[in-house]
Amino acid sequence: MKKRTILVLFSIIALTLLFAQAKFAFITAKSDDKDKMLPGIDPSKVTGTIVTAGSSTVYPLSEAIASMFKKDGFTGLITIDSIGSGAGFDRFCKTGETDISNASVQIKQSQIDAARAIGRNPIEFRVGTDALAVVVSKKNTFIANATVQELAKIFSTAEKWSDVNPKWPAQPIKRFIPGTDSGTFSYFVEHVFNKKADPLLAAKNLQLSEDDNVLVRGIENDPYAIGFFGFAYYTENQKSLKALSIEGVAPGQTTVDNGTYPLARPLFLYSDVKIMNEKPQVAAFILYYLTYVNDVIKKVGYFPAPASALKQAKQNWLDAVKGRY
Amino acid sequence: MSTESTASKQCSSLLLRKYTMKQTNAVDPELCKRIHPVNRTIETILAATGIITIGVTIAIVFILGEESINFFKHVSLSQFLTTFEWQPHIEKFGIWPLLNATITTSMSGMLVALPIGFFSAVFLAEYASNAIKRKIKPVLEILAGIPTVVFGYFALNFITPFLQLVFGKAVSVYNTASAGIAIGILLVPLVASLIEEALSAVPRHLREAAYAVGATKLEVTLGIVVPSALSGIIATILLALSRAFGETMIVAIAAGAGPAFTLNPFKSAETMTGHMARIAGGDLPYDSIDYQSLFAIALFLFFITFFLNLLGRSISKRYMEHYE
Repeated sequence: MKKRTILVLFSIIALTLLFAQAKFAFITAKSDDKDKMLPGIDPSKVTGTIVTAGSSTVYPLSEAIASMFKKDGFTGLITIDSIGSGAGFDRFCKTGETDISNASVQIKQSQIDAARAIGRNPIEFRVGTDALAVVVSKKNTFIANATVQELAKIFSTAEKWSDVNPKWPAQPIKRFIPGTDSGTFSYFVEHVFNKKADPLLAAKNLQLSEDDNVLVRGIENDPYAIGFFGFAYYTENQKSLKALSIEGVAPGQTTVDNGTYPLARPLFLYSDVKIMNEKPQVAAFILYYLTYVNDVIKKVGYFPAPASALKQAKQNWLDAVKGRY
Repeated sequence: MSTESTASKQCSSLLLRKYTMKQTNAVDPELCKRIHPVNRTIETILAATGIITIGVTIAIVFILGEESINFFKHVSLSQFLTTFEWQPHIEKFGIWPLLNATITTSMSGMLVALPIGFFSAVFLAEYASNAIKRKIKPVLEILAGIPTVVFGYFALNFITPFLQLVFGKAVSVYNTASAGIAIGILLVPLVASLIEEALSAVPRHLREAAYAVGATKLEVTLGIVVPSALSGIIATILLALSRAFGETMIVAIAAGAGPAFTLNPFKSAETMTGHMARIAGGDLPYDSIDYQSLFAIALFLFFITFFLNLLGRSISKRYMEHYE
């Protein structure tokens, strides 16, 4: 085991030395970057595999970018596994199986430490903002707004809707929520339940799935069902779903921008300097991502990251690949 | 077998005699030497394949056992077997919600598969003409060839709406009844073909004797043939049951995605296999207690099906009828 690790380390060092001086072939002079920070990119000049995994919330965004990346000439293979932010970090930080980790929650110190233990140093790229949507079916006529306190009751001890608000029907609440290791789950637990998952998981009529389409399916035709997930899945299913206002604020571009929507949260990619330099396709993909993300993010259903955060992400990319173009 | 070999002994070629000599353990060293090397190779290959299956089984049990031991270091066996809540994330490890859902789906599957399978087997074995048999059997085989993922979506998109139409709002989008019915349909070809084999194996002279004393066709079928084939039928039931217990894809799609202890088949509940599929497919932090719990569930499931198979063997032995 140890011998193998040493061998792998040596080959990594050798490869780094070998590639240290080589310039990235995919860099072009003409850039579409609106901040004028990043160089241009030609995806047809790189190939190879890019392995990404993590948040199901980031998934539709990464998928959209990946398909553009391929359309623009990338001939390699990109895998995007939608397994939840936590599981994504496990694969990135502990087993080192992935090149990029998608996350809808910021990386924890314990995860950074785990990554360092296997020789990885996570770099953060903020790519957008999600407004976590609390949704009910269009057939639900009695609720349009909920306070955070009401949410805490709806998703825990209340058995019937009338237990939360006597004006609501005496029907059992059916709950559809993301699985326990997804960033959406932890975010909700953190903001609605003060970081304690117990009340949420002890609730009756609870369905958990990493696949947000399973949740949509459970909610769309049942007036007494409720759930939450990334805003994109709401946008995609607007015909059958209704997003609740939280504390009187509806999720949307303006309320996310001015910070009034209580459940807005950042979306991230994580990678590592070594990976980006050893696998130029990874650096190319992130460069492409940062250059074009704002062109598609609204169509996917999320909101652009604050300008300063996106600039910081671009600066992180430039620092990571210093001397390579 | 023994009557055949005595008969062949008397009038056989040298080659045939070689085999019969071997069978009766009369070692003729001169003949043994001349066994073709190809035969040896084939014998070795056959033995090796047998050992591979056994080896794989042992390896699986070993791996399941190893991780389960780690699991049971943290969780007591009594908590595992006697509490009624399963939520690994908050350290609740009572197997019953999962086991209960598995039993519900399997039993509703058996309720569908047994009558349909049994009667179609009786029809095929006793009533159908050869022409009809030739038409029906391929259809059954097509049914057996449909991937279970298709049955899963069939349950979700067809059976559930149908149940909702009949029983109204009480039926959840994800429910164990629809998954159970789909499992039942999946099992029909298995049950039908195995029972048909059992019925066909009943010797003809039993039927003829019954006809000779004036029994009708129905009396012969239900009074003579079915009881005579009882051991095969029981073995089929238990085989189908352990198949239903292990079915994963259908329940993962249609039964529900949250452990719930409920006896109502119209509510969502997650089975053991469905839970394993969901947790392993998504939120799997390596070497956590959640991860180890999957192995404990798998081992538990393994013991259940193992027990069912043992039971099936002993029952079918007990009711086995010897005709010759």
